[in-house]
Amino acid sequence: MIRYGFQRLVLLGSAGYQRAELPLDDAVSLIAPNNTGKTSLINALQFLLIINKQRMDFGSHDDSKTRRFYFPNNSAYILLEITLPQTGTVVFGCVGKGVSYDYEYFAYKGDLVVEDYRLPEGHLVQQPQLISHLATRGRSVYRYDASEFAKRIYGGRLNERRSEPDFTVFKLENSNDAQVFQQVLTRTLRLDKLASADVKKHLLQIFRRDLPDRNINFKQVWDEAFHDVNADRAQYEAANSQLALIQKMESFYEQRLSLRGKLVVWQTRVNEALSQWQDYYHQQITSLTEQEQMLEAQQKQQTERIKQLTRSQGDLERTIEQLEKENREQTQLQSRFSLVSSRAVMELQLDAIKRELYRVSAVLQQADGRTVAAIERALSRQKQHLDTLKQQKKNLDDNLYRSLGEQLSAEELDRLNRVLSEQAMVLSSEHFRVDLTELKRVLATATADRVELGGLSLSVARLQPGHKQLTEAALDEQIADTERELIGLEAQLAAAQSMEATRHRKQSLENEVQEAQQALADYDRLQSLLESAPERELAFQARTQELHQLNDELERFSEHTEALRLQREQVIDRQKQLQDQNGRIDRLRNNRLDLTEEFSYLKALPHHPWMAEEVWPLDELANNMRTFQQDCQALNQFNSELKAGIRELHAGGLTRFQYSEVEDQELKRIIEFSHQLPQEREALEKKARSAVVNVTASLRELRNGLLTFQSKMREFNRLIGHRRLSDLKTFKIEAEDESHLVEAINVLIAKAEQVETGDSFELFNQESVLDDTALDRAKQILIDEGNARHGLKVDDLFRLVFVVAKFDQEAETFQDIDSAASNGTVLMAKLVTGLAMLHLMQDKRHKLHAICYLDEALALDGRNQASLIETAHEFGFSLIFASPAPLTTVRYCVPIHHSDGANHISRDSWQMLEPLNSEGIR
Amino acid sequence: MSTDIDLQQLPRLSELFKLFNAGKHLNRLSDPSLWVELEQSLPAYTELFKALGYELCVDGRGFAWFHNEEVSPSVSGQSRQLALLFMVIFDTQADAGYSLQRFSEWRVDRKLIEVVFEQHQELLIAEGLEVDELLALLAKAETFGFARQHVDYWELLPAVCRYLDHFEALADHLREQGAEQDSGEDEDDMSDTGGVS
Ligand SMILES: Nc1ncnc2c1ncn2[C@@H]1O[C@H](COP(=O)(O)OP(=O)(O)OP(=O)(O)O)[C@@H](O)[C@H]1O
Ligand SMILES: [Mg+2]
Repeated sequence: MIRYGFQRLVLLGSAGYQRAELPLDDAVSLIAPNNTGKTSLINALQFLLIINKQRMDFGSHDDSKTRRFYFPNNSAYILLEITLPQTGTVVFGCVGKGVSYDYEYFAYKGDLVVEDYRLPEGHLVQQPQLISHLATRGRSVYRYDASEFAKRIYGGRLNERRSEPDFTVFKLENSNDAQVFQQVLTRTLRLDKLASADVKKHLLQIFRRDLPDRNINFKQVWDEAFHDVNADRAQYEAANSQLALIQKMESFYEQRLSLRGKLVVWQTRVNEALSQWQDYYHQQITSLTEQEQMLEAQQKQQTERIKQLTRSQGDLERTIEQLEKENREQTQLQSRFSLVSSRAVMELQLDAIKRELYRVSAVLQQADGRTVAAIERALSRQKQHLDTLKQQKKNLDDNLYRSLGEQLSAEELDRLNRVLSEQAMVLSSEHFRVDLTELKRVLATATADRVELGGLSLSVARLQPGHKQLTEAALDEQIADTERELIGLEAQLAAAQSMEATRHRKQSLENEVQEAQQALADYDRLQSLLESAPERELAFQARTQELHQLNDELERFSEHTEALRLQREQVIDRQKQLQDQNGRIDRLRNNRLDLTEEFSYLKALPHHPWMAEEVWPLDELANNMRTFQQDCQALNQFNSELKAGIRELHAGGLTRFQYSEVEDQELKRIIEFSHQLPQEREALEKKARSAVVNVTASLRELRNGLLTFQSKMREFNRLIGHRRLSDLKTFKIEAEDESHLVEAINVLIAKAEQVETGDSFELFNQESVLDDTALDRAKQILIDEGNARHGLKVDDLFRLVFVVAKFDQEAETFQDIDSAASNGTVLMAKLVTGLAMLHLMQDKRHKLHAICYLDEALALDGRNQASLIETAHEFGFSLIFASPAPLTTVRYCVPIHHSDGANHISRDSWQMLEPLNSEGIR
Repeated sequence: MSTDIDLQQLPRLSELFKLFNAGKHLNRLSDPSLWVELEQSLPAYTELFKALGYELCVDGRGFAWFHNEEVSPSVSGQSRQLALLFMVIFDTQADAGYSLQRFSEWRVDRKLIEVVFEQHQELLIAEGLEVDELLALLAKAETFGFARQHVDYWELLPAVCRYLDHFEALADHLREQGAEQDSGEDEDDMSDTGGVS
């Protein structure tokens, strides 16, 4: 019975073995004390099976030490005999090259015969001679470097250069698995190192083909799917929040369209009118100037005439006044002389007066001097003197002078007489009283020429005596004299008085003469006036009429003048207006607002046609131009308002239309967009929903990957659960969901299904996906995780747990295989897991027995050893156990001998054990 | 075991250490990037922290923390109160028919806490905990990495599994006890339950 697979391992001059031969076709118990070379023997297989230096593992021994150990010279050999189903028995070899402990590979079809490597004299063949030597033994040998060799072993793609035998050992279901296979194989050779993370890694690699290969950058997927939605949403919201502004702009936009239409028409009209204006203006001005000059001349003429008339008017008025005055004089004189019959009467009267005057003047020339007044004064003096005399006569015997003279000396009397008045001296006794003693004493106190009166002292020497005592006769005489004198004086007085009257009479006569002469003259005047009266009357009539005519004429003139003035004023006014208009037109023409670039292609810009047909007289040009100018300004205003509006909209995020060719187009689109907002929102929701659906496509892929992996794991568990491990009722490896991620994916997928199958997209029936919080949370979780891991893969969605249950106990879940059970059990579990993985990778049609190695084999009890051997067998592996003591569960017991400083294993020392029964030994 | 740990390869070491050393739990859900960092260099971190005298525990359900044997009395007091808080929340939610495993989906807000308080009034008042104190405890829970605050509610983070595990063990235990007592009443021969209470 040919059993395809590994047959023998032979070491010659390598790893301290002079020669070693190890059976590989069934379970082997390699027996030797510690530190003998068990591990190094089996590790030698790595050179032939792992090949890649990086993956080979010699524990603490480093690479160069290891090479020196295995290939100390150019006749060190590691040889492996395998029977391949497709080729038959082949030998793979690794031989030292001597230089720097290097080595090379070779292979040939045929059995492994140790003698083939030995020269007749007993030495081993050296590497340079190997090929020719083997040729002499009928072997055609192929030499390889490491990578060429690996390709042959693992069936990698290679160009069939020669008719070389097919050396493929490990036919894999998929040649891409070579690397994983080697990794697992390496691990299997050193099972104690198989950790949980490796299990996950390897399983994933093994199942990778069935899983989506994708590393999903969820954020990117989401952003891509929602890119448009978010962009649209931003636009929608920007428009929605700025709706008021857009509406205002819409109104401006409309107004601008109308205004542009108007200006297109008006611009032409303005240009046309301006081209006509100068001629029109000059013609108007000239005609007006002519009118004005004419009117001015007329006005001057009139003024002259009026001056003239006014002068005549004055003359006439004066003449008339004179005539009236003469009439009045005549009337006056007529009434005065109404009683005078003729001029002669008046002349007679005059003569009479003149004669009387003449006579009176003569009287006056004779009369002389003394005046009436002087005469009257003398008269009064004489009357007084007469009284005194009469008094003296009456008191002749009984008066003061006489009484004093009787009692005083003459001297004393004289002195007193000089002091007292004559009247006092003649007072009667009843009018005085004398104290004689006292008087004498007083007189005595003074000298003879003085008189003392009380405090008064007078000198009397120069005083005349007041009274001279006359006799009665003397007195009578004197009284008669005085009485005569009085009569004379009275006659004089009468004469004087008549002279006075005469003088008065003369004066009045002179006046009368004058008056009479004047009256005569006046009378003459009257006569002449009476004579000219009829003539005067005629003149008065004529002049008055003239004056009337003149006044009428003047009045007419002033009316006419006013009319002329008004007329001229109007003409001047009109002129001024025209000039003013011209000035305005000039100014406007020089400041035309429609000369900016935009106005040059106004017609090409969108506008509403202008229908209103105004009349455009040239006269109104200035006003029209002003309107035009204002409209241009308004247009500019709209332009800048709209520009600013667009800028604001952009700043507010509404940028969708900003790459429109022209502003009008952008505005139009914005306005249309603003009208479409409800529909836009609906479309947005639809888009969002399909975005969710799109996003979930990749999530579905991930989730399907997870489900596939989980079902693969179930298969895998069936594979490893087939056989009992130690005392475990259950041993399985499960892919447990990372629930928060899986849940998140489920939420998204569920939502996608809901919106996909949702019978209506009606916006208000369902909650909008745009504001779905569960959706949002799920998305965020996936984004965060994806960001942290630089993408989401199937393996991020689960963690491997080891589920272990002993008999009579409930299953327990472990994250770490090492903590799941006892050392031996764990070892078993690892080995089973590893073998199962290798098994999975191998092509099941290419049945080939390989080997695996279990160091520290004594950790397993007999039952487990037997169970393990059987399980390995099922997976296509033979087990090599290494231990200081022999195991009885194996087929071969192989001890290592040591002699002459080298190890030996010869075929002869192999001990074959035949199984006694299938239960094994406890 | 490799003995040389390249600190350059652990760029977020100090961040992680600070977090754990403050007694906080790291949650994969709430801090995925730090979690990935830890996950990718887990052996190095574990070894490094061990060398520093800390035991890093990682639960596959997505949280990690420093295991601490000797706990200061105040922390243990807080821990006790937190345990009570979560216990009453679990209890309330279980009664309301919610799956305890899905606690991370709950919206723990004032309304819920009021219901919780109402249902465990006696117990909570005895502990001096009323609604406001319970809400304050949630804030405390955030500093330990058991919860995180959203605008209007708290979300329980996976680290709460540590309490949930205890709660379920306790519940199982009580259920068994109850079952035994029930069957005891019926059959009268299973009376060796004394050690369990
Ligand atoms: N790769 C290597 N490079 C150099 N020397 C090696 C290598 N492998 C093994 N050795 C040496 O070979 C000798 C045998 O070691 P080996 O590990 O094979 O012993 P062992 O029989 O497996 O012992 P144990 O029972 O303790 O496992 C030791 O002296 C060891 O140093
Ligand atoms: Mg060993």
